[in-house]
Amino acid sequence: MGKYIKYEIKGSYKVILGILAIVLIASTVIQVNVRTGGFDGSRFPLVAFLFSLTIFGTFLTAFLFIVGSFRKELYEDRGYLTFTLPLTGNQIVGGKLIVAIMWFIVLGFVTLLYNIFLAKILFDIYLPFKEMFDVFNTFSKEAITFIITAFIGGVITLILIYFSMALSRVSIRNKKIGGLWFIIFLILNALVAYFNVKINGLIPYYLNLNTLEITHLKGLEYLPNITMNMNGASITMGTGEGAFIGIAGMIYNLVVGIVAFLGTGYIIENKIDL
Amino acid sequence: MDFNENLPIYMQIMNLIKRRIVSGNLKEGEKLPSVRELSIDLKVNPNTIQRSYQELERENLVFTQRGMGTFVTEDKAVIKGLKQNMASNIVKSFILDMKSLGFDSKEIVDLITEKAKEEI
Amino acid sequence: MRNIVEIKGLSKSYFNKKALNNLALNIEEGKVVGILGPNGSGKTTLIKILTGILRETKGEVLIDGHEPGVYTKSIVSYLPDRNFLYNWMTIQDALSFYKDFYKDFNEKRAYELLDFMKLKRDMKVTSLSKGMTEKLNLTLVLSRNAKLYILDEPIAGVDPVARDQILDAIINNYNENSSMIITTHLVRDMENIFDDVVFLREGEVYLTGNAETLREEKGMQIDELYKEIFGE
Repeated sequence: MGKYIKYEIKGSYKVILGILAIVLIASTVIQVNVRTGGFDGSRFPLVAFLFSLTIFGTFLTAFLFIVGSFRKELYEDRGYLTFTLPLTGNQIVGGKLIVAIMWFIVLGFVTLLYNIFLAKILFDIYLPFKEMFDVFNTFSKEAITFIITAFIGGVITLILIYFSMALSRVSIRNKKIGGLWFIIFLILNALVAYFNVKINGLIPYYLNLNTLEITHLKGLEYLPNITMNMNGASITMGTGEGAFIGIAGMIYNLVVGIVAFLGTGYIIENKIDL
Repeated sequence: MDFNENLPIYMQIMNLIKRRIVSGNLKEGEKLPSVRELSIDLKVNPNTIQRSYQELERENLVFTQRGMGTFVTEDKAVIKGLKQNMASNIVKSFILDMKSLGFDSKEIVDLITEKAKEEI
Repeated sequence: MRNIVEIKGLSKSYFNKKALNNLALNIEEGKVVGILGPNGSGKTTLIKILTGILRETKGEVLIDGHEPGVYTKSIVSYLPDRNFLYNWMTIQDALSFYKDFYKDFNEKRAYELLDFMKLKRDMKVTSLSKGMTEKLNLTLVLSRNAKLYILDEPIAGVDPVARDQILDAIINNYNENSSMIITTHLVRDMENIFDDVVFLREGEVYLTGNAETLREEKGMQIDELYKEIFGE
């Protein structure tokens, strides 16, 4: 699978670098504009607004490019190369998934870091790095929980997208219907979220990550909690009492992810007629 | 090369080689091209060439020396016999053809004598 | 002789249409087998099943004793009838790709074949003409020491010079330990390289046999036989 990942990266890095270049240039234009046009926001320049749109559009393009690479295998002649390699369906889906996650992380982090440092240079702002880390320390478990849950949620969403694409490929023989996968994805996603809420309601036990104690929802009601629902994985944070994860929901989400992943591999190996 | 006759390819290749032997293109004792060479040259499956060589060997027109290759027979009588045989086949089929056009034996001979003179 | 491919009772249905109907076929080791038939005869379906990109509805397919899967993909070298290389690749990329994924890839032979085909390593695959693409694809496929080669329409749509080079490469690559399955509708151009031929009609084997024996029995070349069977 390592080799497959290598060639996936080789095949996509130029586009990703191009996207990064556009985003970084647009970020620079925005920041410089804000710097010269006023910082208080009352005269927020039109140019900055347009370039923000550019960044949004570019990220959307990147997203479609990255997830669309799986779709290309299913519909284009390149599938004849990919699907006759001595690899299992799971290895191919896994390779695609890992590279996609990697690109999302690269795009996100580079854009974020670049903007922070650019701001520091342009505005000579005192960046409260120390405070930021203090916040991380205070709520370290919560922050990590948040990041992990968000990450898992993102990965599961990606898997569901791949699964929807594979399903739409085999649902109507040899008919390419643009956007069918998206409809399937919306329905699947809605179903997954619906059952997640149901399951969390049925088995309302939460894991406290600070103490590793399991508590019934009733035991948490006194907390002034902010409950977040990250693609189903309920976490409760900001209470100073630790972070709580909905156990049933979390397990359910992992199972959904694994089933959708294996399902995609199965469809690739057994159901596809290129 | 195009193989158009209604014969198996190996026979057509045998005929080709026989012609080369009789015409002196391939001299007695001369090495034939290897199976692979001829196969590529004629764009024919090597197994087919192999079979042609085997059949030629059975007719004693060629012989194989292990590890060396296949060679045209050194027996002049055999080559002479082949030459006679091929000539007689050509003449036979010619005569049959002419007769089907309505010529009798004497007319055929006359025509040939006449044409042979012109050629010289 | 050992069979590299054994097919029994193979059927493939699409809804109510039968693409393959109870097909039985063995392919011996060391043989070059031509699979002949018009469009819709089931050639493509059969090849897709053998290369593991389509599953049968019924029946059994064994390649070197294994059902189509990861193992058979590692011993089958497949030439699809389309541009299957990734668009971003140069010829060198494609070679490295094959070398990385197929243990049986012979790099030295690949470079020799590239020279023979007059292709340069730094060319982009998207810049190649139809004939060059076909030659590159064949170079990759023949540079593997595979047990079974499956060539789908290897000379379709190429000029006569490229066609001769391709035929030369195929014959040159012939060896007794591997088998080749070749589909073509250009029977005239390819029939001389077949040991055996299989005529497919409506998903069934209509006629099969040694090409030379058929020529002898029917008193005609395979090309004429094809025309007689399928009517032109």
